[in-house]
Amino acid sequence: MSKLKRTLALLATLAMASTAFVACGGGDTESKEESKADNSAAESKDDAGAESEDAGTESEDAGTEGADLKLADDGDCLTIVCWTDTDLNNMFDVYTEKNADAVVGETIKYQNCGMNGGEASTQYATYLNSGDDVDLFVAEAGWILNYINDDSFAAPLSDLGITEADYADAYDYTVKIATDNNGVLKGASWQAAAGGFCYNTDIASEKLGITTPEDMQAAIGSWDGFKATAEQLKTATDGAVTMCATLGGLWQCFSTATGAAWVDGTTLNTTAVKDFTAMAKEMVDAGYVNPAIDQWTADWTNVGLNGETLGYFYSTWCLGAGAQLEQNGGTAGNWNIVVGPQEYFWGGSWLCVSPNCDNAKMAADFIKTFTVDATTMEEYALYSGDFVNNKTAMNNIVSAGTNSNALLGGQDQFAVLADVAAGIDMSATISKYDQSLKDTYLPALRDNIDKSVDEVVAAYTSDALAANPDLSAE
Amino acid sequence: MASAAQRRIKSISYAKYGYMFIAPFFLVYCFFQIWPLIYTFILSFQGNQANNGQWVGLDNYNTILFGEGMAAGAADLRGEFLQSLGNTFILWFGNFIPQILLSLLLAVWFTDATVKLPGKGFFKVVMYMPNIITAASVAALYVNLFGDSKYYFINATLMNMGLAEPIAFVSDPVISKIMVMFIQTWLWFGNTMIMLMSGIMGINPSLFEAANIDGANSRQVFFRVTLPLLQPIMVYTMITSMIGGLQMFDIPFLYHTGANFDRDLETVAVFIYYNFNKGTVEQANYGYAGAASIIIFVITALLGSFTFYFNRDKDEIAKKKQRKRAMKQYKARMKQGGLSL
Amino acid sequence: MKNMKQQYGQPKDNYHARIMAKSIAIFCVCILLTLICLVPIYILAVNATHGHMDLAKNPSNFWFGSSIGDNFDTLLGKVKTGAARQYSGSFDVVQGYVNSLLIAGCTTGLTVFFSAMTAYGLTVYDFKLRGAAYTLIITVMMIPMQVSSAGFVRFMYSLGLINNFIPLIVPAIAAPAVVFYMRSYMKSSFPLDIVEASRIDGCGEFRTFLTIAIPMMKPAIAVQAIFAFVANWNNFYTQNMILKSDKLATMPIMVTKVLGFDKNVDYGVNYLCVTLSILPIVVIYFCLSKFIVGGVALGGVKE
Repeated sequence: MSKLKRTLALLATLAMASTAFVACGGGDTESKEESKADNSAAESKDDAGAESEDAGTESEDAGTEGADLKLADDGDCLTIVCWTDTDLNNMFDVYTEKNADAVVGETIKYQNCGMNGGEASTQYATYLNSGDDVDLFVAEAGWILNYINDDSFAAPLSDLGITEADYADAYDYTVKIATDNNGVLKGASWQAAAGGFCYNTDIASEKLGITTPEDMQAAIGSWDGFKATAEQLKTATDGAVTMCATLGGLWQCFSTATGAAWVDGTTLNTTAVKDFTAMAKEMVDAGYVNPAIDQWTADWTNVGLNGETLGYFYSTWCLGAGAQLEQNGGTAGNWNIVVGPQEYFWGGSWLCVSPNCDNAKMAADFIKTFTVDATTMEEYALYSGDFVNNKTAMNNIVSAGTNSNALLGGQDQFAVLADVAAGIDMSATISKYDQSLKDTYLPALRDNIDKSVDEVVAAYTSDALAANPDLSAE
Repeated sequence: MASAAQRRIKSISYAKYGYMFIAPFFLVYCFFQIWPLIYTFILSFQGNQANNGQWVGLDNYNTILFGEGMAAGAADLRGEFLQSLGNTFILWFGNFIPQILLSLLLAVWFTDATVKLPGKGFFKVVMYMPNIITAASVAALYVNLFGDSKYYFINATLMNMGLAEPIAFVSDPVISKIMVMFIQTWLWFGNTMIMLMSGIMGINPSLFEAANIDGANSRQVFFRVTLPLLQPIMVYTMITSMIGGLQMFDIPFLYHTGANFDRDLETVAVFIYYNFNKGTVEQANYGYAGAASIIIFVITALLGSFTFYFNRDKDEIAKKKQRKRAMKQYKARMKQGGLSL
Repeated sequence: MKNMKQQYGQPKDNYHARIMAKSIAIFCVCILLTLICLVPIYILAVNATHGHMDLAKNPSNFWFGSSIGDNFDTLLGKVKTGAARQYSGSFDVVQGYVNSLLIAGCTTGLTVFFSAMTAYGLTVYDFKLRGAAYTLIITVMMIPMQVSSAGFVRFMYSLGLINNFIPLIVPAIAAPAVVFYMRSYMKSSFPLDIVEASRIDGCGEFRTFLTIAIPMMKPAIAVQAIFAFVANWNNFYTQNMILKSDKLATMPIMVTKVLGFDKNVDYGVNYLCVTLSILPIVVIYFCLSKFIVGGVALGGVKE
């Protein structure tokens, strides 16, 4: 019997040892205790910060007063979940300059959980559910509806004392999209994602003889002009330089400009897909664009770096320091931007509030700073190159005429894009399926580019329904 | 003959120790695996997306097997599932067969005492090495070397040597499958080789000596001695490889350049992962993922039993039968004895 | 005498020549396989030392470049301007290795110990449910991980064990394939008389297992320990679903994440990131190779 006891004792010890190992690994409990210890210190810091803000006597501070905050304010670090961090880095630069109590990594930080743009939406759900600290999260047009229509992910902005009235000066569509099925505002965008066509001025002047953006716009102001210019370029370079880098860029310009919806209710809408497939095939067959180059890949970057494409379709968030324009060869300043064949927009990101937010004060202040406060938004636009979601701010910048983007050889992208931004309205066509359908269409197009339009559409329809079985074909 | 102590020990029942020794395994298994398994089973009878949690009976199976479920896109979903099933088998066969042949050949060479091979140890070490590299890194390594365009190493090198157009190693439906088979073989042949080597080394050397004395040539030795005696370890290799093959995930899932996985490489495991992790609860297809899981389990179990059946230990079965017969005879005799008493 | 030599010497020379030819052929095949195994890793390391612009202009490099320092600074988040800022803090090599090693180490220990124990229980003791238990283990072995992973992850969510190492470590106690292997091993090379002898000497059951069975099973344990370590080191599937926090990210998760930056791709950094995830483990492996491959070759199912 004693042997049995000894055995049991040994087993118990082993079990305990193994749990000890596990506890080491967990790390979570440890950090929580740590954060509790830090709490008191952080709180006092927070208070000090709030007071100093009050001293600044900004009118909107009335809104951030405790009474309107329905969410907790006992956390020590404002955590923003995002899937690409270029914007947040720029925002943090601007924000920390204004707020002494915002220290990146200590009282404010971001968590980049996106493996990449398309997959980010799937990563979000698990991340937001995982119990890790989340105060705000950034959602993209392609999949924002999935999150704001779920109360366990997104809380109303009114919980932070922010109402629709704050957005009188914003571009309307940004407010409409962030309003959920029950009419509650759940997100605020800092940008109006107008897009344009950026081209390499060296290639344009050498091969096409076009030296000013005005001439370029005159040449490619329509799809016919775009194709004619492409033909000219092809002849001049023996097919070594394509007109634009990717089918993905063309698609973005074509589809959003025509205002085509991916779905009507739960029925797949393939009108735009058919039209674009025909155009894409024409352009690929003629050699104006290389179908093997995927959007956002290293190849996409390389064709720009190596001067193998005339231009890219870029949204405003591609034009700032450290963004795509720079990465794809814009460092020498030999690029210009024009509106392109059609006015279009690309993407757009919203700041949403998690119901588990525990830094309400700073969260509210952060959202207001970048989506309501015209002064800071103007500053941010100039700093980051992004087209901000505030008409006054943008009008000020354009009318002052002092903005010059070094990457664009001193050109002012805001002047080019101001009208485009005013015309954006995707609120009627956006659906929760958009990201998934876009991710299905472009590969289907690429894989079947040598087949007929009907075959491409059939392949897309089949893949789209397999990915979203609750949709039906036309 | 037995001593008193031995007799005493024989009379003690040790059964309770048996249960104690296997208890941790089963406790942990029940807690971490049985409930999830049952849960997956339940999920396979429940709805998807907005209908999640609702009981839908066999609808998910109907959808992914026959394309007749209530979802409008049922037929297409079935197409995707069947394609993923096909891909799983193609990719498995395509890496298992070259892998086992290569490994067997190498194992025989490395254990052949007559072959004088300098650096044998070094070769073994190098060949096992790919197996220790994280699959995520392996996929990244190959994508970065074999990318589709002229901006990647292999295509650039080939084009420097005179190739006209870059080869689509990553996105071509056929070439990408061959690449995945190659990568899987690259990853696993060393492992299989070492398993088989240990099996061959476990064979009684006197058998080889006897065969040699009898004048058997190396082919005869291989087919008449090595292969039959290697059977248990071959079964183990087969079974583990089959299980691994049917749940192949990392390389097919990560071997792509665009934003999403390549549908031409979609295996059942990728199908399950993708449908289960589609974002919010409203987006995820728990039901289809669950049904696909159960189907792949049934397939594995069938194939596994099949393998076991064909490779069962014939001696053991014969012995068992003999024992049974002896028992019967013994009982019959006892009965007779009882009657005669 | 001369005749005899002519008569008998030739076949022997012939035999030697054949063996020689065979050995050379095998040697060539081995060299080829070695190159296939090593060259990709060499090219990877070479490319990690080139900058992005360099690689974009000429991706076909066979010798080391000079940008390794810059790539390092970018990857580790030391560059605070421009596109390079995206790497800030995503890739913490040390943290990744520590997390991966912790998980792989703990699981390996638990797997081999408890599997040996289960196999011992199944071989040494005769009890009513023995046959049933063994059949169950074989059945269970055939359940692919993905089958229950859906349910497993949901279950861990409901237990609040997401972002925790427990769901990755503790289940390792139940490793059916390892039990299957160890049982085969014990069946063929563990004499049951030893157990009886130790009982006569008054040794407890558990002590017999610890002090007699385990040392005798060393070869099998070594093989399975290596396999288990490798399997858990590479277990991207489950880790990716369970671990969401940056602090807990393991090596495979980090690599996937860095390579997932799809808006600003930097080749040199990508190559460096993959190199860093591979090289240290390869170096450790080569240092321990004698033990590892020797250990693996020692154990085998003997029949």
